[in-house]
Amino acid sequence: MSNSRATDADGMETSYGYSTVSGREEKQSRVNDVFHRVAKRYDLMNDLMSGGLHRAWKDTMVSWLAPPHRKGWRFLDVAGGTGDVAFRIVERTGRRVEGTVLDINASMLGVGAERAARKGISDNLRFVEANAEDLGLPDSQFDAYTIAFGIRNVPRIDRALAEAYRVLKPGGRFLCLEFSEVDVPGLDALYETWSFKGIPAIGQRVANDRESYEYLVESIRRFPNQENFAGLIRKAGFERVTYRNLTGGIAALHSGWKI
Amino acid sequence: MDEAKTIAQPDPKLLELLVCPLTKATLRYDREAQELISVKAKLAYPIRDGIPIMLPSEARELED
Repeated sequence: MSNSRATDADGMETSYGYSTVSGREEKQSRVNDVFHRVAKRYDLMNDLMSGGLHRAWKDTMVSWLAPPHRKGWRFLDVAGGTGDVAFRIVERTGRRVEGTVLDINASMLGVGAERAARKGISDNLRFVEANAEDLGLPDSQFDAYTIAFGIRNVPRIDRALAEAYRVLKPGGRFLCLEFSEVDVPGLDALYETWSFKGIPAIGQRVANDRESYEYLVESIRRFPNQENFAGLIRKAGFERVTYRNLTGGIAALHSGWKI
Repeated sequence: MDEAKTIAQPDPKLLELLVCPLTKATLRYDREAQELISVKAKLAYPIRDGIPIMLPSEARELED
């Protein structure tokens, strides 16, 4: 059992929250179970867990992406099953661009596809169930690759990043939103209490599922910090890698370019 | 599956785009079976509710 942050990709392969599992297959299957259990209430739970902040963070992500309002511009949103990020990108461009929403979890995709149909934006989006480590998509297809609160659940982060690089067109943009390391004195202690006491309690009350939310909190703590994650992105081949802290580093946005 | 509902059809542009996650080779669409066939990997990836499932663990193995 380890509760310190991983500093590289290897450290995340067998970590399931603070527990260590036998291998990446077990991690993947346990993560799958968590998201099957929480899919229907996932967005509501995000609201409760982050006090609504995840909405502002996702808006910031789309602002930084600044998608052109141009038909033919294509993005891939990975681990985006419920469509939260993809809908924002499509709406921001006046429903001009097209996106592929990819998730390993059928329950999350089911929620997303249904929401897209209700919003009347199914024509702009496609849904596919696949693994971030082996995308099932050809080289150099996308103008942008986005992933929000997904990468820390991927067993082999380095492979996911290599796949991101492969499917992006030259000139394409990588953008990742993930929980990160709080860098504001005082806020860290407060956040600690909230994470380990507040969030599992909410998970218990709203979803009757404390364990899944304990996993989510622990996995946040294990994920590499801002600098180390930026290093992994560079190692995958991306250039001009930068990041921005959101809400004192509770979350961070990482950006890179395939040049 | 609820048979009263029409089966959701997969997006044709998506089907054109997808490749086998193992071999990265193009796939053949079997509309009848709702499967995407990877000849090289000898796998048939299922399409459920119009959503292609590009996971080897979910694919049907093809005989020679």
